[in-house]
Amino acid sequence: MIYWVVFILSASSLAFEVLLARIFSISQWNHLSFMVISIALFGFGASGTFLSLLDARRPGWEQRFSRRSFLLKLVILYSVSAVIAFGGLNRLPIDYFRLPLEPVQMLYLLIAYLLLSIPFFFTGMIMSIGFAALPDKTGLVYCASMTGSALGAVMPALGLGTLGEGYMVLSAALIPLLLPLFGDLKRWEGMRTALWAVATLSVLAGGIHYTGILDDLKWIRPSPYKALSQVLQFPNTEVTETRSGLRGRIDRVQSPYIRFAPGLSLKFTGALPRQWAVYRDGDRPYVFYNLNSEDEPTFPRFSLPFAGYLLVPDPEAVLIIQEGGGVGVPFALAADADRVTVVEPNPQIADLVRTHYRAPVFHSEGRVFLSRTDRKFDVIQLENWGASLPGSAALSQEHHFTIEAFTQYLKHLTEGGVLILSRKLMLPPSDSVRMWATAYESLRRIGVEEPADHLALLRNWDTYTLIVTAGPLFQGDVAALRRFAEELNFDSVYFPGIDPKEVNRFNIYDEPFHYQRVQQLLAAYRSNSAEAFFEAQMLDVAPQSDHRPFPGRLVKWSRLDDLYRSLGSRVYSLLMSGEIVVGVVFLEALAVAVLLLILPILFVTRGRLMSTPYRFVLYFLGIGAGYMFIEIYFIKSNILLLGDPIISFTVVLSGVLVFSGVGGYLSQYLDLSHLGYALGLLCGMLVAILIGYPVLVDAILGMPPFFRYAVAYIVLLPVGVLMGLPFALGMRFLLVSPVQRAYAWAANGCASVLTSIAAAQVALGIGIPAVMICALAGYLMALVSIYRPTGAKAVYS
Amino acid sequence: MRFIRKSLTHPFRMLTCIHFNPIPMKRGHVKPIAVFFFVVLLVFSGSSLIAAENGTFQAAREEMVSQQLRARGIEDPEVLAAMKSVHRHAFVPESLRNRAYADSPLPIGEGQTISQPYIVALMTATLDLDRADKVLEVGTGSGYQAAVLAGIVDEVYSIEIKEKLHEKAARTLKSRGYTDIHTRRGDGYFGWPEAAPFDAIMITAAVDHIPPPLLKQLKDGGKLILPLGNPFSYQNLVLVTIRDDDYTVKQITGVLFVPMTGRALEKGEE
Repeated sequence: MIYWVVFILSASSLAFEVLLARIFSISQWNHLSFMVISIALFGFGASGTFLSLLDARRPGWEQRFSRRSFLLKLVILYSVSAVIAFGGLNRLPIDYFRLPLEPVQMLYLLIAYLLLSIPFFFTGMIMSIGFAALPDKTGLVYCASMTGSALGAVMPALGLGTLGEGYMVLSAALIPLLLPLFGDLKRWEGMRTALWAVATLSVLAGGIHYTGILDDLKWIRPSPYKALSQVLQFPNTEVTETRSGLRGRIDRVQSPYIRFAPGLSLKFTGALPRQWAVYRDGDRPYVFYNLNSEDEPTFPRFSLPFAGYLLVPDPEAVLIIQEGGGVGVPFALAADADRVTVVEPNPQIADLVRTHYRAPVFHSEGRVFLSRTDRKFDVIQLENWGASLPGSAALSQEHHFTIEAFTQYLKHLTEGGVLILSRKLMLPPSDSVRMWATAYESLRRIGVEEPADHLALLRNWDTYTLIVTAGPLFQGDVAALRRFAEELNFDSVYFPGIDPKEVNRFNIYDEPFHYQRVQQLLAAYRSNSAEAFFEAQMLDVAPQSDHRPFPGRLVKWSRLDDLYRSLGSRVYSLLMSGEIVVGVVFLEALAVAVLLLILPILFVTRGRLMSTPYRFVLYFLGIGAGYMFIEIYFIKSNILLLGDPIISFTVVLSGVLVFSGVGGYLSQYLDLSHLGYALGLLCGMLVAILIGYPVLVDAILGMPPFFRYAVAYIVLLPVGVLMGLPFALGMRFLLVSPVQRAYAWAANGCASVLTSIAAAQVALGIGIPAVMICALAGYLMALVSIYRPTGAKAVYS
Repeated sequence: MRFIRKSLTHPFRMLTCIHFNPIPMKRGHVKPIAVFFFVVLLVFSGSSLIAAENGTFQAAREEMVSQQLRARGIEDPEVLAAMKSVHRHAFVPESLRNRAYADSPLPIGEGQTISQPYIVALMTATLDLDRADKVLEVGTGSGYQAAVLAGIVDEVYSIEIKEKLHEKAARTLKSRGYTDIHTRRGDGYFGWPEAAPFDAIMITAAVDHIPPPLLKQLKDGGKLILPLGNPFSYQNLVLVTIRDDDYTVKQITGVLFVPMTGRALEKGEE
């Protein structure tokens, strides 16, 4: 029975967590969801702490608690607390932006933490009871937990499309209530628990109906700060269609007030075509233009990104790699392109673009598409304007703006082809400088001797356009750009032979900051001192590689004081940045972890816990941290390979968990003498992955999806199996009493939560490979901790 | 301040109760003269609390003007006078009133914000307005910016597309005596053609392009201003001036963002 309870509850908890993250990504500010879910996972650790404390007063708890009736009561408590937590969170007037202003918001945040941690607390308790009550079968308990979690990881993928986010999360929370119905109903005890479950289900259903939660669930309302909420406040504006899926929710909106034209010249006096839009998770609109097939749209010819098309009149083949926006296709049409190919990563948007513009649309990630084709294009236009609130994208991993990506674009350009990239202009010059440098270094990488002759950068008052050409810019090209800028009041930032007198003329800063910065960078490149240039900048503007693909990441921790002053000494400006939020959450989590781990040591008086050698605590901290670091390494590495963060998350989690479950099962046939070998082998394998996996990803990027998915799983198989051994073997052989096992469970849980937060910062600050190095360090720490100080032989018997 | 507000609302509720239900159940046991004194006492304590609250807000306003505006270089006496006189606390939600004069933007519900006082002052001062100027504000929001403008020019037109915001702002402006401000619910993209041309136009939210119809409603020599960035942290302002059908766009950074250079470069430039 206990295996089934562990299996179902693990499945439900993981599905609940994933779906909650999904709902939060619509209904809340992203940073808030990161905060709440990270901390709530401490429920697992807290259960271990609770049982450790209980041990002092109630020895023998593991036998009483592992009875069927008690376990089923915990299942009922889990479902009740999950529904209440979700309902409560939906109604809690929590507002991220009011946090620094309204003290009561801290209380709301605390309530959110506590509410959400309770269901995880009950799940953790059941697992901890399982490990403590069945010390000889820890491998099987572990296997049930891991395979259950794997099922939970794929459940959202199976049900989101039909049930939507709201109903799906409710189903995940309620499914465990079915467990008591499959008990021994002939006996009174079994029947009584089943009746309890039915009664609970009825009360919950009544409560859900009475409180109107069901209405809230039909359509999860986006945060009021998101673009969709803003547009829905306009009259005659409505959502005409909603489609939910694992990759996000798409809302189609009709409104006479959607008018998107970034980079439009002030000289444009006409009217924009009528538009409609789709929003992803309530934000990042993609706009469709209702173009009359008779006329070409006129506004693109007055827009800054069109500068790139001036260099390739009447292009034959245009490739648009898009992620939001929507001006790409009208631009290509305005330029009289013969063939327009669109690459769109979201399948639902890809369908809509195909139908609306009747253009060939490939549902694919841009890099994957290019790896699979030898075609060359006259124009490759990258359209990606970022999230509606700057700073929210700091944690976003994107592989479109790395040196490797630019190299790939350049290789797919025809001889006279151009790459066009337009983004928001920032001050101090940051994103534009990073992109210029990325293009420069990728040109150099493909063997161009004078990369600066292939680059042009123009701006208006809030956007910039970078043009990278396959061949050097000729005088005629430069003259065309000059004329375009002059006529439409745009400013030149860089092109070969630029005169300082022709910058900062129409959109005037106190100084030509952007021009100056690019000139300084060019000089630095020419004198081989680019590193010193990037080191000296207040923001991190260095070009990024696929190892650290976070284009929105600009904060340098060492220059935080300068950044604060440069933002007019306004604290709230700093809170817009994702990295700073990660830092704050890590400190919060550290405080909770220390509390959870110190409490049992302080209050367990019978000496049971104190007999646990500290190095075994280190062991469980090490393997908890190592496990999570490996998971995150693979999730981040596979985003490029599988083309989407959510798909990568689902594949990695399901793979690692199932294979770890197999490892747990196999551990039943092993003994303590195998533990050192298992850890050693795992460490060796991690080193091999660290070196070889990026090369493998690069090599198979152009393969069909099935092949890529298969390789991802095959690589996860041996690692996952080995990852499943240390916990089960450790629980079984290193520890001797239930309280030690409960405490080890707490240590493992705390390490996992802290690691998941730290991994985000490690990847941002140092790079994705560093996450794997951290995993290696965790497992090495575990390996060292199981040997006697003399280093001769594994201890404990 | 929270205590003051609670004490203030409480006696008034009692007073209302007495007004509408002047015959309490134990009326026969209460002497009329006692009721009279009680009412007088309540009115007195209520008004003294109002006075205390107004005094606190006035002090906060004066501090805001000196610490946040003057100290950062806002010197226009008319702008400073307007910022000193407009009761910003009347335009923010009840729960954030004690933060009304803080050096930050505030959420006002529906995903909207009231700008940081410095941004309001900087935008207003940058337009360099005269009393006779006619100003159009696109995006009434809370109505605070319109109230500040009304302290400087005679004619203010303010347009808001979102119904709830428009109604609330119009109500607040009316209740605070700003009856000369013309407000309406409508699409700011097309401006207010009946009242055009304007000497100045203020767009109070970041936009991805400047609406061409608005530019057409500017007088020759007129100015249009808008913020860049997000409402919680505007990074700089954009000032468009039109003269003889030609536009000049000036980026105003003030202390919103000090475009610092790298350390090594700073040294190099010294």
